[in-house]
Amino acid sequence: MTERSSGGQNYAVAVAADVLRARSHRSRLLSWAQAIGVVALLAVTLGTPGFLAGPSVLSLLTTVSFIGCVAIGMTLITISGNIMSFALGATVGVTAMVFILACNWLGFGPGLLVGLLFGSLITGLQGLLIGWVRANPIIVSIAALALIYGVTQAFAEKGTVYAEPGIVPAMVKGKVATVPIEFIVFLLSTLIAQFILSATRFGRNLFMVGSSFRAAEAVGVSTWRTVTGAYVWAGGFTALAGIMLAIRYDSANMDYGVAYDYDAIAAVLVGGTAIGGGEGSALRTFAGAMVIAAVQVMLLLNGLRQEWQYLAAGLIVLAVIMLQTRGSGR
Amino acid sequence: MTLRHHLSGPHGRPFAVLLACTILLAVVDGGQGRFLSAATAYSSLQTFATISLVTLGLGLTMMIREFDLSVVGMYGMAGCIAVLTGTQHPWFGLWLALGIGAAAGVIQGIIILRLHLSSVGVTLGGLLIFVGIAFVLTESRALPYDNLSVALALNERIAGVFSIRSIVALVFFVGAAAIFAWTRLGSEIIAIGGDRRAAITAGVKVDPLVIGIFAFSGLCAALSGVLLSYSLASASPAGLSDVIAPAAAGAILGGVSLGGGSGRPLGIAAGALTLAVLRSGLNAVGAPPFVNDITMATVLLTVAVLDGPYLARRLILVRQRFHAATNA
Repeated sequence: MTERSSGGQNYAVAVAADVLRARSHRSRLLSWAQAIGVVALLAVTLGTPGFLAGPSVLSLLTTVSFIGCVAIGMTLITISGNIMSFALGATVGVTAMVFILACNWLGFGPGLLVGLLFGSLITGLQGLLIGWVRANPIIVSIAALALIYGVTQAFAEKGTVYAEPGIVPAMVKGKVATVPIEFIVFLLSTLIAQFILSATRFGRNLFMVGSSFRAAEAVGVSTWRTVTGAYVWAGGFTALAGIMLAIRYDSANMDYGVAYDYDAIAAVLVGGTAIGGGEGSALRTFAGAMVIAAVQVMLLLNGLRQEWQYLAAGLIVLAVIMLQTRGSGR
Repeated sequence: MTLRHHLSGPHGRPFAVLLACTILLAVVDGGQGRFLSAATAYSSLQTFATISLVTLGLGLTMMIREFDLSVVGMYGMAGCIAVLTGTQHPWFGLWLALGIGAAAGVIQGIIILRLHLSSVGVTLGGLLIFVGIAFVLTESRALPYDNLSVALALNERIAGVFSIRSIVALVFFVGAAAIFAWTRLGSEIIAIGGDRRAAITAGVKVDPLVIGIFAFSGLCAALSGVLLSYSLASASPAGLSDVIAPAAAGAILGGVSLGGGSGRPLGIAAGALTLAVLRSGLNAVGAPPFVNDITMATVLLTVAVLDGPYLARRLILVRQRFHAATNA
């Protein structure tokens, strides 16, 4: 602050206190609105005939898992104060392709590793640019999106790559006690991300960098390492979605993951992670993804066409954003 | 001032880049007449018509330190609305879509200002809603537009290189440039982007201007969506999302800084035209389509890094370490 007189300082403190009070008031409002929303949703959902019958719930669990893993990755980016990435959807597609190629070449286990590392690497490089020179995250991710599409087109002329028969073990396509394996992966990803966020020094730094970059720098946090780390993990979780899609269909192309960025950020925001950064959790994103998925299944079961799902997701996102508190600047 | 001074100044950079790209493509072409032809000029201007208005709208929101993501959704939705309602009366479809575009911009602007929210968040909500509406309206199908005479008229060549679409886009840019040159609006917009508080103190009516810019941005996106859908004689709710990358790239190439407070409409026109010339030119000289994506990405990445506020600091650190290492 540049105020020289104590009067100015007092004024600044008073303003800050006002802002904090307004913020806590709004966040209380937000939690109430969320709680009421979830209860109402549960009531309507459970009241919908056919919801508890097996197939719809199980198909819900599978589809939500792909977007869910991307959303977990996006959560880390959003918490780090970098809003969102437009490149994660493309990352899903390209990772799926790299995974299939690596499987055909090296076998399933090494392929898995190559896929995960590849996703982490290309997303981590974006994080490095964003963290090291503080390049604009939106522009970097838009550039990465164009670059991923361009380079993939240059290398894969036919567009779709197929796994050699028998290369993917049947075991990873099954279910564990009627729960689709994709959902278990999503659940584990959530738990891992939540552990990173709440129990490690990196997680603590991430919240600090996200809520105030300067303050984090002032207390000696290596901001560029933290931001890069967030993107590396985000890439890893996104790669999981690509790999699971590739395993499911024994093939991969760039159509996998189209528009996942938007679905993922919707789940992040509906869960209540602040778009301004510094607040949020992986568990919240998990809840957000499940809420959106439940609404979509409910709309379907109530006879509304699939298109209404998109509109519903948009309306929920706008409503949640309007209830959010932090929003200075962009 | 000499031409060289003009081209190296901050407002000249977009034109210098445009000139450099044109010369480069002409050299690559090597006098075979594939690039420097009326056909390439026409197709460049057609591409310009497709992306430039969205670029202008997005660029103006970037000038005031906001970011209107919803243009992507509005672009698609407006096309669907116009095609659905404008078969008998094309003008009705056009005006309806434009009205909805401007109204949606006003609503988003009011939400951003009144609730003190980030424009990325609010316009993301807008984007998802517009895409949703487009899917609902079209029932997830590509819609044909049966009024083919409109499609033909829009694409008909005028004076060899122009079409109604590209002339509309050029008129918008000339109008915006005139407003910037001869009214206070331009300097007020720049002032809002440079320092909003100072602008308020200086007596700029910030709120109406911000809302007006979001309305204009929605209008521009709607207009280019309608013109594109009419001229393609079809509209589809999906597949229009690849407009955000060229729009952002065009605005940045046009001299709009990421931190707000700089840029000119004619600069944005030059930025969009650069992308259009690159796309059509690379196509004309036989380069595969991915070259265009990679070029655009490289440009965006370069500008993002050069505009990075920590770049100078990091470079100094690297140099110091390098010196320390060589001295030791």
